[in-house]
Amino acid sequence: MPLLDTLLSGQLLFATLVTGSLYALIALGLNLVYGTMRMLNVAHGDVVVLGAYAAFWGFTLLGLSPLLAAPLVAAAGGLLGYALYRGIFRRLLATATPATAGRLEGNSLLLFFGLSIIIQNVTALVFTPNNRAYAYLSDVYRIGDLAMTGNRLAVLLVAGLTCIAIAWFLSRSAAGLAMRAVIERREAAFIVGVDVDRVQWVSFAMGFGSAALAGCLLSMLEQFSPFSGFPFTIAGFIVIILGGLGNVKAGLLAALLLGAIETYGVALTSANLRSVLLYGTFVLALLLFPNGLFAKPAVGR
Amino acid sequence: MNPAGLNRRIALATMAAALLAAGTGPAIAQADKPLRLGFSMARTGMLANATPSQMNTYELWRDQVNARGGMDVGGTRRKVEFVVYDDQSRPEQAVRIYEKLITDDKVDLLLAPWGTPFHISIAPVLEKFKFPMVGNTAASVALRQVKPGYIWFPTSAIPDRISVELTAMLKTQNVKSVAVLANVLPFTKEIKNFLEPELKKAGIEIKVSTEYPPDIRDLTAVLTQVKQADVDAVLALAYPGDSVLYAKQAKELGLKSTFQFIAIGPSDAFFPKAVGKESAEGVVTIAHWAPKPEWKGSQEFYDAYVKKFGEDPDFLNSALAWMSLEILQDAVARHGLDKEKIREMINTGTFETINGKVKFDGVQNSITPTAFVQYQDAKLQIVWPSSIATGKYQPKKAW
Repeated sequence: MPLLDTLLSGQLLFATLVTGSLYALIALGLNLVYGTMRMLNVAHGDVVVLGAYAAFWGFTLLGLSPLLAAPLVAAAGGLLGYALYRGIFRRLLATATPATAGRLEGNSLLLFFGLSIIIQNVTALVFTPNNRAYAYLSDVYRIGDLAMTGNRLAVLLVAGLTCIAIAWFLSRSAAGLAMRAVIERREAAFIVGVDVDRVQWVSFAMGFGSAALAGCLLSMLEQFSPFSGFPFTIAGFIVIILGGLGNVKAGLLAALLLGAIETYGVALTSANLRSVLLYGTFVLALLLFPNGLFAKPAVGR
Repeated sequence: MNPAGLNRRIALATMAAALLAAGTGPAIAQADKPLRLGFSMARTGMLANATPSQMNTYELWRDQVNARGGMDVGGTRRKVEFVVYDDQSRPEQAVRIYEKLITDDKVDLLLAPWGTPFHISIAPVLEKFKFPMVGNTAASVALRQVKPGYIWFPTSAIPDRISVELTAMLKTQNVKSVAVLANVLPFTKEIKNFLEPELKKAGIEIKVSTEYPPDIRDLTAVLTQVKQADVDAVLALAYPGDSVLYAKQAKELGLKSTFQFIAIGPSDAFFPKAVGKESAEGVVTIAHWAPKPEWKGSQEFYDAYVKKFGEDPDFLNSALAWMSLEILQDAVARHGLDKEKIREMINTGTFETINGKVKFDGVQNSITPTAFVQYQDAKLQIVWPSSIATGKYQPKKAW
């Protein structure tokens, strides 16, 4: 039974973990921003691409290892998130009264959409729309039948550990608990004295930082161009909708599920059915959990 | 001030700024009446990453022509300037742009946009305004359905011909079994449709035949299947994005097949950078050009391109773009801007290009043979057919 061998070989599990951990990292940032502020960052994938460019230029111009660059890229992404929050989104949130709160989502969506277009076109203008890619850590390591390319292993480790670290931060540290409080009961958190403004900028910085980090990692695996961000935004959306908007931990599991659908689903059926499987799961999740979508009833404003 | 109104204005301002950034304004005619050449190009959108090798070639040509004192227009030299619009990767946008270029900008000559759907879409516009344009980066059997007259396609990389030639090449390498993987996008799907019957006719066993969507992110499952099938040749009918994915994962899984064909991607300079020189080595791909002493100007073109852009030209798209410019240049030197005479000359004449002689039969180039190139010592060499080969095919040793 060659199919059974394939399924049990560990190779598919490895592929699932690599894809899943990247999706988890991408979705995590999207989820933090949505959770704390109810803002859907459609420019998230473009921030991923910015991170990829940073790693690419660091590697090709300075010979800087993307793994060493990763903390710097993440910090730069975090700084961008912080600046955007201070410059634009804080005002948007501050001016929202209960009467206009409903428009907040729409307006922030427009702003993020504009941001996405600006990032795409500015990168195309500055870096040209050329495909960019480089080869780094491309040696293959073999354990029994399992073959792993160095860069994929590195991506799995860094993305996986980062996700676990952030999940730990949310459940153990005071700042993380404050963040979760804002995600789950925004009004109540405000009343008991949580500094909502600080939580918001921290989640913006973390959201953008993790996206930039994901881009940095991704640049070791695939080629990218200024316009390749959108699929990552979509993947992030699917993950956080499967896991529950604002629910970070469930998002991590959902990302692995998505990775599994992509690899095991393809192995069991056909590569052509990838999108059907992916969006099928997505639609099914929407049908079964119709209230888990954009409106989270637990949260009042 | 109403905060919602303010927000909306911020959003609108953001969008307006974005639109400004997205558009490229038309160049304005200079006093000394330079020759104006118009075209659309996907500078933004999903195809934008595929167009620089063509755009670079246009720019290199313009700079060279202007350095020589201008383009020869029936005996007088005139400086060349481009009128370029971004078609945002949308063929219907290209249609509007070419109408505007002809009727509003009143450009003197037209150059081709990037890609098959764009060429096919604008053909009726050229026909309507009786404006000849030499195409370049388009390849499909559907091109033959385009009404001949005002558009020509110098490429010989047409899927049905590719299928026949690739099968013949596999036969000479004594290939008995293959795996065919195809991206479902039109060009590669078309190759698959023509290739599989051709392989069967030749008695080559197709052990794996599969298709995958363009947004595929992981090929592990598919390639595990290919590895188990233990085939002599893998024919990866991939687009640039997944060509890199294929090569990287073929290396990870250690595919042993020594004949590795990847349809689109490897002819572009980014490929060896993306997968590493060792992985690129020995990969066979589609292209019918390489620098060759018998093809006048081919080495000069290669050298000038590398000097200006710091990387190799795309052996398929850059070469085709340059050929289309050479053909136009010859016709204009002879007949000036008389469109009917230009058309007549391109229809009947034989042109010397960096890819050898070109002569059109209807819309198609009837001389240049369909060919394949292979990475050998990090350089692309034509390995098929032998009539124009610059190197001899070598089995791929390792990834």
